[in-house]
Order: sequence, then structure tokens, then C-alpha cells
Amino acid sequence: MSGQPLLDVKGLTCRFGGLLAVEEMELAVPRSQLAGLIGPNGAGKTTVFNLLTGRVKPASGSILFEGRPLIGLKANRINRLGLARTFQNIRLFSELTVMDNVLVGFHGGLKANFISAVLRLPSYRAEERRILARAEEILELMGLMEQAQERAGNLAYGQQRLLEIGRALATSPSLLLLDEPAAGMNPQETLALSALVRRLRDELKLTVLLIEHDMHFVMNLCEELTVLDHGKVIARGAPQAVQRDQAVIEAYLGVSPAKCASTENGDA
Amino acid sequence: MDALQQLINGLTLGSLYALIAIGYTMVYGILRLINFAHGDVLMVGCYLAWFASAQFGLPWWVSLAGSMALTAALGMLIDLGAYRPLRSAPRISALITAIGVSFFLENLGLVIFGGRPKAFARPEIFNELYHWGGLRVLSLSVWVPLITALILAVLLYVLYRTRLGMAMRALSRDLVTVRLMGIDTDRVVAATFAIGSALAAAGGIFWAMKYPQINPLMGIMPGLKAFVAAVLGGIGNVVGAMLGGLLLGLAEILLVAWMPELAGYRDALAFVLLIAFLIFRPQGLLGEKTT
Amino acid sequence: MIRALLRRLNAGPLPPPQATRRRDFWLSLVAVAVMAVGLRLLETGLSAYWVQMICLAGLNVVLAVSYNLINGVTGQFSLSPNAFMACGAYVTALLTLSPAEKSLSFILEPLVWPLSVISLPLPMALMIAGLVTALLGFVMGFPVFRVRDDYLAIVTLGFGEVIRVVANNAQSVTNGPLGLKGITHLTTVWWAWGLCLAAAFVVTRLIRSSYGLALKAIREDEVAAETMGIDIFWHKMLAFMVSAFFQGVAGGLLAHLITTISPNLFTFFLTFNLLIMIVVGGLGSTTGAVLAAVLVTFGGEWLRVVEEPLSLFGYEIPGIAGMRMVVFSLILVGFMIFMRRGLLGRNEFTWRWLTALAGRRSENK
Ligand SMILES: Nc1ncnc2c1ncn2[C@@H]1O[C@H](COP(=O)(O)OP(=O)(O)OP(=O)(O)O)[C@@H](O)[C@H]1O
Ligand SMILES: [Mg+2]
Repeated sequence: MSGQPLLDVKGLTCRFGGLLAVEEMELAVPRSQLAGLIGPNGAGKTTVFNLLTGRVKPASGSILFEGRPLIGLKANRINRLGLARTFQNIRLFSELTVMDNVLVGFHGGLKANFISAVLRLPSYRAEERRILARAEEILELMGLMEQAQERAGNLAYGQQRLLEIGRALATSPSLLLLDEPAAGMNPQETLALSALVRRLRDELKLTVLLIEHDMHFVMNLCEELTVLDHGKVIARGAPQAVQRDQAVIEAYLGVSPAKCASTENGDA
Repeated sequence: MDALQQLINGLTLGSLYALIAIGYTMVYGILRLINFAHGDVLMVGCYLAWFASAQFGLPWWVSLAGSMALTAALGMLIDLGAYRPLRSAPRISALITAIGVSFFLENLGLVIFGGRPKAFARPEIFNELYHWGGLRVLSLSVWVPLITALILAVLLYVLYRTRLGMAMRALSRDLVTVRLMGIDTDRVVAATFAIGSALAAAGGIFWAMKYPQINPLMGIMPGLKAFVAAVLGGIGNVVGAMLGGLLLGLAEILLVAWMPELAGYRDALAFVLLIAFLIFRPQGLLGEKTT
Repeated sequence: MIRALLRRLNAGPLPPPQATRRRDFWLSLVAVAVMAVGLRLLETGLSAYWVQMICLAGLNVVLAVSYNLINGVTGQFSLSPNAFMACGAYVTALLTLSPAEKSLSFILEPLVWPLSVISLPLPMALMIAGLVTALLGFVMGFPVFRVRDDYLAIVTLGFGEVIRVVANNAQSVTNGPLGLKGITHLTTVWWAWGLCLAAAFVVTRLIRSSYGLALKAIREDEVAAETMGIDIFWHKMLAFMVSAFFQGVAGGLLAHLITTISPNLFTFFLTFNLLIMIVVGGLGSTTGAVLAAVLVTFGGEWLRVVEEPLSLFGYEIPGIAGMRMVVFSLILVGFMIFMRRGLLGRNEFTWRWLTALAGRRSENK
């Protein structure tokens, strides 16, 4: 099992009408890696996440996660197998409290059935206590404990991004997909995020695949980068190597020069 | 022979559904709102025509035209008073409001006109009985599909050849962009309500001539079924509404003709079709796939 | 105003610590006891008409609370309570009516066999009616939850019509348009308000549990909820079936309150009434639904004034029958336009709120 990558994508292709959003994509993410997926706007990065999490159905190709095929599974099943994500355009449950957002993340793994929940049987109460304790741990980790009872929609932008990560962690994933986690964050927040992601990997043994436009962030954090342009993988390798790759430079410069600026136009 | 007879009946009923469905489909296409009050607007149109003919003795075509004009105004008024304040609200709020408006019209109708049905006179021209071979056809049944076809032709001309029509079609694609382009969307929406309501009045008046009576709750069933027809045809699509109306009309008539023991279930047929379509072909006959 | 206050006072570390839970439990128990005494006094002191009204208010509370579970909490805009009430009413009545009464009623076509000989006590009949209605909800759920928003509304409305058409035509089970007569008047204040307690207990506990959070998450953002591992279809189904169960039982009690049922009793009008209640109370607020159900029930009585002849400054204004519904429709539209979130928004009256309020009062003294 250890020789096999945690996530193994082969020949993944996705069409929207006439548009080839992702074409013959190959991607392998070994356990405990910090992997990055970059590329110009509209390259198809978010679409890859949507394909991985079952939001969008591919035209062809295979996705193996821990050796198990994911294609055709519903999004909630995929999550239960250990794949969690955040969204580029934040999708918190904004009317619920910060704490409740995290607690929702635990619900999919709840063992107690609804009758024992309504009757508050001891088994449910024990599980509830355990979940609460873990939710507090997560909020502590995200630095959101102070705001636990705040309405999620009232949080500052950067905090909302953190809460999305916290909510994803609550589903106990082994692979975490982060879609532009640093977008809209100030430099200090970005730095803290970088440290946080590293901690998630080191302490929780998580594997992380992230999309980010902030090159500085990506170069410092990721161990392997995959570059996507017009749905095709144009380069792959260690950050430094990718940075010097001619095809990558052309892709970025060819479309529009200001690529390092993060943008908010994707549809997650 | 019998099949031909049923075909004509189905065509007539289907044309009426189609006329009513067009209003639903146009409003839904633009606002994504099921205008629950549409059927009740139809009822008001019928009462207006009834007043014009029975009380003031106007010729049928004058009362038809007058009723269509006034009903168009009512449609715009409802939009202005009830729906426009909720344009940016969640869709469900607008839907609840529409249900409220529908009940308002129904109950106001009951208060003003009373619950007892009123006889609705069938004008001479629609009251002739033709005998063709073994067929017995009421002239109304011949006129209704013809008039419907004519109205549809005019409507398609308006939609595809006039500025207003183009604005409407653009609006049903993308409300925000059109607003940015400097078109007064409120006026276009108002015009949509006006056209839809006028057509509903026409449909309702022919409906009233067919059965021939009216009551304050008469709009509910034709209204619901016409909405189903609009969905069957592909919501937002005017030609689709026409096809959906015909399909539903034919299906109802054929159900009664071929399976008389199920005749009582006729009013359920529309919803069975609706559910079947939503499962197997949610975009309807002519609609493009969305959501 | 009320909303802001409730939100402020309800804020605080959640969930409540053990001590608060215990306090709330005792407070609830006391409240129930007070309510029981109150009901007893009203039952003995008031005319039969008003006792009937109190029963009706109780049933409306059950209906509104369970309707709010699917529409307000889960955010699935269903219009099917009239279908569920019809189902519950018919099942209960068919089970409790005596065989003699049945053979007297079913004149056109005899009642089908097992039903024609059965006669069960009310509690058992209600339970079966609730389960059958929940089963109906289960069957309906498959097509219904393939669609959303306004389509869901139309499909559920359609089911209501279908049920009515079936009730009108399935002579040998429902007695067709004639309906069922001679149902024993068994619904007392205790039945109606007892069911209220049961419904409020189950629904509140459900909402406060992890399952309730999942339902709210579905309301807020279906895609995000599904991506977080929640099976949205089965959770919607759960809310729908719980709601159907209580509406079925309430329908059964309604049948035993008014003693005659026919298909035309269960029109969309019933659903409309409930819709007003949950909108006025605030979609998503259980206590709001309770409050509004009582308000609307008795407000409707009070509104009879507008239907009665009135003399104003010597002028005689004739009574206008049906004016109440006109007013109700305007109230609904008015709430949507001017106060979309209803009286309570999504907030709840809680013991925490009450004690916090009391605490403030005493501080001020
Ligand atoms: N559901 C969809 N339907 C149709 N087209 C889509 C859909 N989702 C994405 N696309 C298109 O696919 C292409 C790739 O989009 P995607 O969001 O994956 O890009 P991205 O790499 O995430 O870009 P960004 O950096 O801006 O977030 C774009 O042209 C987009 O318009
Ligand atoms: Mg993107």
C-alpha cells in the first residue's frame, strides 16, 4: 500500500459543451505530501477539484483514492472516504455560528441514529461530548475560539477562509483540497496560513493539495507543483524547477502579465 | 371518426392551456417566478368580459378586447405592487407573495361576485354546430385553435422582430447584464406581465364560453394545469408552452375517451405528467438543460 | 426589535452546561404543569364552541411546528400539508368508525374488506395514521427531492391535488365525494395539546441535535453540505417524514374534532393557512410557529368582526362574508414585503432568554 500514491488520477477529461476544461490529466499525490496545483485563470484548476469531489462528472479517466475508484460516487460518499475541500468563493453556512459550521463537518461521521439523537440516549450524548471537544480543538487550532458563537457570515474574510479549513478538518479527511486558501488574506495572515498548513501535515499526517495564485506562498510551501494551462498539464516537479520551466513562463506571460495577483472569479 | 372527434376536442382544450401557459412561461423565463396569481388574473378577465357583455350588452369582441386590456393593466399592477418590491429577495419570498396574491384575488372575487357560478353567454358565431360526416363540431372548437395560432404568430413576431421582444428574450437569458446595458428592465418586465395577463384573459374567456359559466375559483385548475403545460414544453419557451398545452389537452381528452373508468382521475393526470417529466426530461420538450 | 433582543440574549457559550440543561428541564416541566392546569380550567369554564377553538389552536400548533421543520429549518418549500392531513384523517377515521357506521355510510360501493370490519381505539388508529402518512411522505420524497425551490413547491402542490382526486374517486375506500360521516367526537383539549407537546418535543430535540444542524446546513448551502459528507437526500427525507407523521396524526385528530370529512375539506386552503402561520412566526423558528399558530387561529375568530354588520357613526355597513380571507392574504403579502423574516426571524424564545430578561429586570431595580 505504501508504494501507491494516496491520490492517483489518470487520463481525466472534462467537457463543458464545446470547452475542454480538463484534458487527459495525470496526477499522483503521495501520502503526506504538500502538493500544489497552479495555472492561469480559467486553466481548469477548480474544475479538477470539482471532479475529485464528485461535483462534476468527467467525460473519461479514472480517479483512485487509496486504491478505490471515486468516479460515479456521490459527493458525500467521497467526503466520507477521506477527501475534504474548501471553496474558492467561500461557501460557509453563513447564518450558522462558527461552532455550528464545524459541528456540521462532524455530522457525516456521526454513528448515532436520529432516534437516539432525539431521545438523547447515552450513546448519543457520549458521541456529542466527544465531537464538541474535538470541535473546540479545531477552533483552537484555527484561532477562532473567541468567535465560536459568532455568526459565520460576520467573520472577517481571512477568518472565513480559516473556518472553511476547520469545517473540512471536522470531516476527518486524509486528503485536504484547498482552493485558493490565501486569496484575500493580508501578508501576515498568509504567513500564518502557511505555518498552519505545514502543521496539519506534520502533526495530523494530512496530505494537502492546494490551488493558489500567490506564487510566493506556493513556492515556499509546496513540495511538488503541477501546472495546468487550458486544461492540460504543462509542467510538473519541484517548485524551483517549475519556476524556470519555459512552458510555464510562456503560459503565464502569454495570457496576462499580472498573474500573481489573486482573483475571485472562479465558480467553485 | 371517433379518433378525429377526440383530436379536435383535445386540440381545443390544448389551445386554451397554451394561451394561459404562455403568460406563465414568459414571466418564469424572466423572473424565475411561478406567478401563482396567473390563473386568478384569468378569472378577473372573465368577470370583466361578463360585465361588458351581460351587463352592458357590448358585442363579444369588444368585451374580449376591453377585458384583455384591463387584465393587462391588472397584471402590471400586481407586478408593481407585489413582486417588484421583492425583486432582490430570495425566490421563495416572491413565491409566497404570489400565493398570497392568488388567494387575495380569489377571495376578493368571492366577496364581490359571490360563490354562485354565473352563466357566460356563448356568442352566436361560436355556437353553431357543424355536422361533417359523422362529426359534430361546435364552431368554438374550430375557432379556438385558429385564434390561438394567430395570437402565437403575432407574439412570435413581437418577440423576434421588435425591440421590446428582443429585450424580453435578452432578459430571460441574463437579467443582470441587460440591466447593465441600460435597458429599463422594470418596463420590460411590466410589458411581459401585460402580455401574459392579456393572453390569460383571452384563454379564460374562451374557456368560459366553452363551459359556459364562470366562478371566482375557476382560475385555479386551468392555472395549475397551464403551468404544468409550460413545464412540459420547456419553461421559458413560448413555442414550448404551446406544445405543452396541446400535449396536456390531448392527453386529458384521450384519457377520458379511452379509459372512461379513469375519467375521474383526469385532474390528476397533469401532475402525473409533471412528475414524469421532472424525472425523465426536466428541461421539457424544447427547453435547454439548466441547473 | 424582538429579533435583535432575542439574538443578543441568546448568545453565550453553547451548548448549555449541564446545570442549565437541568434548570431548563425543570422550568419546562413547570410550564407544562401550568399549561395543564390552565387547559383544565378553560375546558370546564368555557362554552363548547371555545373549547373547540382551543383544540383547533392546538392542532394548528402541531401542524405549523411540523410544517416549519421542512419549510423553515430544512428550507424545502413544500406545499403538501393538506395531502398529509387528508391521508391522516382518512386513515384514522376508517380505522375508528364502527363497522355498522361504515356500512351505513358506504352506500354507492361497499368498503373494501379488511377496513369494513376493523374498529380500533383512537390511540392505535392515530399511530397507524401517522406511520401511513410518513410512508406516503417517503414515497413522495423520491420524485419531490429530485427538484428544488419553486419546482418542489409545484410538485408537492400537485400531490395534494392528486390525493384529493384519489379521495374523490376511490369510492370503495374513501366513499368518494360523500366523504365519511358520523366520526365520534373524541378529540379533546388533552389530545390536541398532548400532541402539541409530543410534536414540540420531537421537533425541538431534532433541531437541536446534530441532525438539526445538518438540516440547517442543507438550507444554507446544499452543495457545501453535501461536500461535507451529509447525505442531503436522506436528510430531507427524514425531515419530510417526521413532518408528515405529525401532520397525519393532526389530520386524524381533526377528523375526530369535526366528525365529518370529505375530499373538499383538504384543499390547498389548509396549506395556505399554515403557510401564513410559519411566515408570520418567522420561517425557521419553532417557537415563532407556535406563537403564530395561536395568533392566527384566534385572530381569525377575532377577524369575524369584519364579516359582521357594523354601525359606524350611524351608518350601517353590511357584513361582508369571506372578508377574513382577503385580510389574511393581505397579511401574508404584507409580511413578505415589509417583514420578510416574520416576528421572530430564526430566533427562538428560550428559557435562557427568559431568565436573562428576568435577570436584567432585577438588576435594574
Ligand atoms: N459548471 C461549469 N459550466 C461551464 N463551464 C465551466 C463550469 N465550471 C467551469 N467552467 C469553465 O471551465 C474553465 C475552467 O474553469 P476553472 O474554474 O476550473 O478555472 P480555474 O483554473 O479554477 O480558474 P481561476 O484561477 O480563475 O479560479 C473556465 O473557462 C470556466 O468558465
Ligand atoms: Mg478556480
